[in-house]
Amino acid sequence: MSAPTTDDLHAITEQVWLSYLDPEGVNPFLPSSEAPESPLVIASVSVTGAWEGHVIMTFSEQAAELASAALLGMEADEVTPDDVADAVGELVNVIGGNVKSLLPDGSLLSLPHVVTGDSAGTAKWPATVEICRLQGSWQEEKIAISVWTSKSAGEGS
Amino acid sequence: MIMKILIADDSRVMRQIVTRTLRQAGFSGHDLVEAADGRQAHDLTISEKPDLVLSDWNMPEMTGIEVLRALRAGGVNVPFGFVTSEGTDEMKQMAEQSGALFLITKPFTAETFADVLGPILG
Repeated sequence: MSAPTTDDLHAITEQVWLSYLDPEGVNPFLPSSEAPESPLVIASVSVTGAWEGHVIMTFSEQAAELASAALLGMEADEVTPDDVADAVGELVNVIGGNVKSLLPDGSLLSLPHVVTGDSAGTAKWPATVEICRLQGSWQEEKIAISVWTSKSAGEGS
Repeated sequence: MIMKILIADDSRVMRQIVTRTLRQAGFSGHDLVEAADGRQAHDLTISEKPDLVLSDWNMPEMTGIEVLRALRAGGVNVPFGFVTSEGTDEMKQMAEQSGALFLITKPFTAETFADVLGPILG
C-alpha cells in the first residue's frame, strides 16, 4: 500500500470543507506555499500498529477560531477556548480517520490532542519524518495539514 | 412517530453537527439524548431505551464497538449504527459482525443521513 500523498490530503480536505466548513462552496481552502505563523493551534492524532505516525493540523489562532465558529454555527468572537479545542480536535480526527483508510489494516487511531498558546510553538514530533503536507489559506487565514511517519518505518525485515 | 435517538460522540461539536444534520435530512422533532463517552452511551442506552443509537467509534472509556458488543451481550437489540471518521473495510466488517446496521463515514452530508436513516426513521 502506498503512503498518503499531498493529493490525498487535498481530496480529503475538500470533502471536509464541503461537508462542514464551506457547505455553500463560497470559502474554499486555497492551497499555497505559505505556512501558518504564531500564535498557533496544533491538533494531532497518532496512528499506531501496522503503520506508525501522526496526522497534524496547524492553524493560525484566527483560523482555529473561524473553523470552530463555522462548525458550531456561531460568530468567531463567541467561541471559547474549549470550543476551539473540541472543534479542531474533531477536524483532525475526521481528516486522520480518512488518512487512516489509506493505510494498512491493523492501524489504530488515537483520540485527538490539541495544543494552544505558548506550548503550540514548541510542539515537536521526534523520531518522525514528514511524508506529505498541504498548506494554504481559508478566509485569508493559514492552515497546514501534514502526515508524519516513524523514521524506523520500513526498516524492519 | 417521535423516536428517541441517542447520539454518542466525545466531541460536543460533532454531536451538534449530527443533530443539525438530522434536521437538514428531514428528521426533525425526534427526542435526542446525548452521550459524551462510550460508558455513558452504554448506560444511557439501557436507562433511556432509545429507538436508535448513532455512535462514534473512537471514544474514551469504551469504544463504540465495545458499547455495541456489551449491549448485544446483555440482550439489548436496539438498532445501532456508527458515525465515524474511520470507514475502512476492516471496520465496516467488524461493525456488521457485531450487529451494527450501518456505518456512516465522517465527513457526511445530509443526503447520506437521509439515504441511510430514511428506512429506519421513516
